[in-house]
Amino acid sequence: MFQIYLRMIGIQIRSQMQYRAGFIMEAIATATVTAMSFVTLAFVIERFGNIAGWSLGEIGFLYGLIEFSFGIMDMLFSGFDPQNFGRQVRLGRLDQMLLRPVNIIIQIFGSEFIMRRVGRIIQGLVILLVAIQMIDIQWTALKLLYLPFVITSQVLFFGGLFIIGATMTFWTFESVEVVNIFTYGGSEMMSYPMNIYPDFLRKFFTYIIPAIFINYYPALFFLDKPDPLGLPKYASFLSIFIGVGVLGLSYLYWSFGIKHYQSTGT
Amino acid sequence: MNIFFQICVKSIQKQLAYQKAAIAGLFTNLFFGLLRAAVLTALYGSRNIVTGLSLDNAITYTGIAQAIIGFLSLFSWYELMQSVYSGAVATDLVKPFNYYRFWMAQDLGRALAQLVLRGLPIMVFYALFFDITLPTSGQQWLIFTFTLALAWSISFSWRFLLNLSSFWIPNAVGILRFGFLLSWFLSGFLMPLRYFPEWFTKLCYLTPFPHMVNTSVEIFLGVVDGANLIKVVVMQLIWAIGLILISQLVLKSGIRRLVILGG
Repeated sequence: MFQIYLRMIGIQIRSQMQYRAGFIMEAIATATVTAMSFVTLAFVIERFGNIAGWSLGEIGFLYGLIEFSFGIMDMLFSGFDPQNFGRQVRLGRLDQMLLRPVNIIIQIFGSEFIMRRVGRIIQGLVILLVAIQMIDIQWTALKLLYLPFVITSQVLFFGGLFIIGATMTFWTFESVEVVNIFTYGGSEMMSYPMNIYPDFLRKFFTYIIPAIFINYYPALFFLDKPDPLGLPKYASFLSIFIGVGVLGLSYLYWSFGIKHYQSTGT
Repeated sequence: MNIFFQICVKSIQKQLAYQKAAIAGLFTNLFFGLLRAAVLTALYGSRNIVTGLSLDNAITYTGIAQAIIGFLSLFSWYELMQSVYSGAVATDLVKPFNYYRFWMAQDLGRALAQLVLRGLPIMVFYALFFDITLPTSGQQWLIFTFTLALAWSISFSWRFLLNLSSFWIPNAVGILRFGFLLSWFLSGFLMPLRYFPEWFTKLCYLTPFPHMVNTSVEIFLGVVDGANLIKVVVMQLIWAIGLILISQLVLKSGIRRLVILGG
């Protein structure tokens, strides 16, 4: 199974490398975006001093972490990108895949692997490392051990959202734009300390879509910052459960969706 | 002019057909607007005025920026490029109508429809839920409308030029994406350019990008006046005309280079 996946990805990578100049352009473009959005943020924070008591380095930690994870997710889950997946459904390519004697999920994972996302991943990593330099975190064994779990849970969380968005296209045949609010909007929202948002928005992203536990609460733990919202200490350690939970739910929804899938007939 | 008008009306009708997309776009714009407003509120904290902008000014800024995304099509516009790669460009060029004006008419229709479908509701929402700053005189409204039209013209020429690169290159998507990102950052869309260090703002103003967003919004807020106001509007006008001329020149040499593959 896994070998088939690797082979499909290999084909993707080779074909994308055929346009080497195009690939390099796009990777640079993606890196420039994240770099510029951070530079503009840095300018603004410099002007104001801080955001709700968070320094540039601390914001950079939130920002770099989520960029890094989102970049990894965006590369691994490219096949489930609702926009992309909706097109496959519309063009009837999903029907072709369903006819092949290979697990459908593996095929979708292997159907798209966007190399230029490397730009975003590297940029996120650079910002994260610079931020860590700036704020001089008190590293403990627990923090070091926990960091990979946080990144994994962020990848799973956004991946789950992509799968949910993709499943919707079984019925709508095109990507539902509101999903973008949770994926792209969510990642932008999580790059700021989430206690700054209006009550209804924060509550929504705490209790309905628990995004707050994915980045903000773990960051409070890494940076040893007090919690202005007064949740119990373990709130910082919920991330992995939420990551796995969202992905699990998305899998259930997907299974339900694919059982009821009716082709467009094209 | 009659043809221009007709193309424009057709384009408006086309936009009206995609109501669902407009509503979805509206929600996204509102969400990001709220996000920016929250960030700015946190940034201001207990401060009243920063570099000449009050918090209300700044929040209004985020509202207008979101309201004109659709109008200016700030993030994406690949239609011309796609018509080149599909071969449809051949029939468009054969038409007895200037190619630049042909696309301009379509884009004007698109822009006006977006302004009404997405721009107005966003501003109404902002007016209901925030203390927004509005122009205080009829004259200010008039100047704002004028600069908004110029902003559209500049943004259109820029997108037209980016798309024209498809006349030379077999895969121009990367260039277009990069071009859109440039306008995204340097136009003041993300944050009012005033917050940036002075040298950086000046650098931005050497390009046409601030005239897509920052200039018009500052005029709406009434934070530029007197000689500065005249100066900035004149600069905007020069950029608008300059980019139209450049578009014509590039188009001329592009047509000579264009190779259309059989469709």
